[in-house]
Amino acid sequence: MSPRTFPVALAAALLLASTAARAAAQDRVYVRPEAGTPVVAVQVLVSVGPVDEPAEQAGISYLAARAVVEPTRATLDSLGAHLDVDQQRDAIAFTLTAAPDAWAAASQALLVALFRDPVDSAATVRQRTALVRELRAREASPADALDRERAKAVYGTDHPWARPPVGTSATVGRVRVAQVDAFLRRNFTPERSVVAVVGPVDEGEALDVLRPHMPEGELVVDSVPEAAPAAEPVSADYNSITTWVSATWRFGADSDVESLRMLSRLALDRVSFGPSRRSVYNSRAEVVQYAGGGELRLTVVVPPREARQWAERLREAVGGYANEGLSPTLFAERLRRYRGLRLLELDLPEARAGAMARAALLGDRGATLADFTRLSPERLQAAAMSLHAPVIVFLGPEANEGA
Amino acid sequence: MLTLSLALALAAAPHDTARAPAPGQEGPAITVHRQQAMPVVALRLSILADDPPGYSGAGHLFQHLLQRLLQDQAARVGGHVSLLRGSDAIVYQVVGPASELDYLAGILRSALRVPAPQGPELPAALSTLAEERNAERESAPQYVRAALRARLFPAEIPAAGTADAAARLATAPLDRLWSGIYRPERVQIVAVGDVQIEAVRRAFRALPGAAAADAPEALPDTVPALEADTPQATRGWIGSAWAASEAEPAAVSVTARLLRSSLRRRMTRSQVEVEHWWTHQGQALALVVATPDSLVPAARRTVEGALGTLATSVTDAGVRDAAASVRRDMLFYARAPDRMAELLGEFADRDTGPDAAQRYFAALEAVTAADVRGVLDRLRVGEPAKVYVPPQRLPTQRRR
Repeated sequence: MSPRTFPVALAAALLLASTAARAAAQDRVYVRPEAGTPVVAVQVLVSVGPVDEPAEQAGISYLAARAVVEPTRATLDSLGAHLDVDQQRDAIAFTLTAAPDAWAAASQALLVALFRDPVDSAATVRQRTALVRELRAREASPADALDRERAKAVYGTDHPWARPPVGTSATVGRVRVAQVDAFLRRNFTPERSVVAVVGPVDEGEALDVLRPHMPEGELVVDSVPEAAPAAEPVSADYNSITTWVSATWRFGADSDVESLRMLSRLALDRVSFGPSRRSVYNSRAEVVQYAGGGELRLTVVVPPREARQWAERLREAVGGYANEGLSPTLFAERLRRYRGLRLLELDLPEARAGAMARAALLGDRGATLADFTRLSPERLQAAAMSLHAPVIVFLGPEANEGA
Repeated sequence: MLTLSLALALAAAPHDTARAPAPGQEGPAITVHRQQAMPVVALRLSILADDPPGYSGAGHLFQHLLQRLLQDQAARVGGHVSLLRGSDAIVYQVVGPASELDYLAGILRSALRVPAPQGPELPAALSTLAEERNAERESAPQYVRAALRARLFPAEIPAAGTADAAARLATAPLDRLWSGIYRPERVQIVAVGDVQIEAVRRAFRALPGAAAADAPEALPDTVPALEADTPQATRGWIGSAWAASEAEPAAVSVTARLLRSSLRRRMTRSQVEVEHWWTHQGQALALVVATPDSLVPAARRTVEGALGTLATSVTDAGVRDAAASVRRDMLFYARAPDRMAELLGEFADRDTGPDAAQRYFAALEAVTAADVRGVLDRLRVGEPAKVYVPPQRLPTQRRR
């Protein structure tokens, strides 16, 4: 082991140990006590999303989520607590951040609102109006348009996940209060939820606070229909002066996700703006995990005439690591950078709560936040080789030129 | 319950915080706040110095000259660098893996040498400074605050300096400027994360010595007059600020929070901010209100009588809630290591002694209604600084 890799391994081991030792005291409640963290972050992840929605009511999950917590906002404000609601493809995340003296009261207020309170009609109408306005603005953005086109290409147009998880302004605008009420009663249940708590709390204290709202029992999750990804590149017109090119690799539930995360960072380095890539206006890499697997996405924004060429470069950016592994020296250098980036992604307590809740939803009871010790050149190459052909999506003018 | 939990949160802070021996011993003053939640460390290096007289903006210029180099170095370990020229200090901060402590410390140490700009780097940095100077006058929120600060603290020159000073900076020898700013004994270090104080002390043991060159000849700095550059705004902007240098800081913070809550309840169609300014130049309570054209006269009356109205409605329960609110905001802000380092560093830079942040945090809980009334009485004795930006009116057009 080189002098450089020893502290790396030590740091990683510490991270793993401090996480795994405290997790999973109850089936669906995960606690990570952190004595030095100044606030407590709580994430309630409810496995409700497009799979549960009728197509004509797309977005009802997100509307219901916003409407049901709206009456508690005043209470949370008075406690100095911060609440974010984020609709993901397979779940809704309610993330609460509060001071140590306020987290228990804030969590109880949130859980009562989620699982016991009836829907408030005025709050629902207010949130519907606000959401429709927000969605109209979002629908005009190219990033949002790319998300929609990519979802259709990756899952097939008839798949529930092909619909925007937050719905559209048209579908949300048609949802009635009675439908929200029925949807809430049917789907927002403790049995479909996991809770992760991170901060200066001990496990017993956290369980005492949460247990009345989270009875023990196995997590209930929906099965997701089989995807039907597009076999050929998909082009979508969009009125802009640049073209967005996206490559998406789907991976399965047993994939080496940490290696795939590192791979996405390395691939991004190969396609980002630089002296030899001056035409790249923007670039982005992300790995998202859902029930049953996930996606590695690589996106660039380039001049339209170069779009086809860049699709090939995206394929090569990932495929190159399958064809040829990194030398140990080069790998150590790349890992050094990746480790820092990944740790900083998790430096907020709410990010750690989110990662733990997601892991719990996916059935990872160890709730590992980041696993650097297992990363190696061989695993990185194996992860790249495990990926099949990506789904390519072009969004922008003249996307078909240069073919 | 509230008191107990807060006390527990507080109790952890001094226990985890350590401060190196006083300046004068080997190495800089070092404060370490251990957080073992993640193997990450945030290092904050501050140089407690004003710019050389006549060369305002010099410290910030050095920061711009070094920014790219420092960012590139930090990126090698996935770290992040931020630079700030505050009222009290020139601040360099880096956050990254705790296992890279020595490397990250080396990045900060490299900021303690005279930069050697190549080609267009110096003109580019001066241009950035000029943009920052202009930004203070471009929009009403920045302008109101800058104008209030200039009146309350006339000796405090903006971080980006002045146009006159910028002309001198373009030709002044950088080593002489640096000589006027840097001394090893002016350096303070704050480390937050999964590190031990001994390791931090080792990492910063050998700081570069003071520059051999003479400091530049002192020249007068002229504080820029902002009145001639009133920005355009669609709403009326009203600023009032009261000097509060002799008051207890925690009581001023609670007073500011109470005043904000009170005014927001009464001025529901206006945007109200009440801020506690606290630097080595002194303290102030600043009130900035943006209000629609039609409400300007009423808003000005409300602002005029704001302190008196609050004085008649202060209660113990209200003070306790406001103090808890300030404390919770502090904890929320400091929830990441780099934010905690920033917060602890700001207290350290004001030279208010070891554990200043913890003492302030504890003092918040002890603030009483009498303390708040005392602050209000003290503020009302003095004449506030006032700034007003009128709403823009479009000229009436004659119809054909």
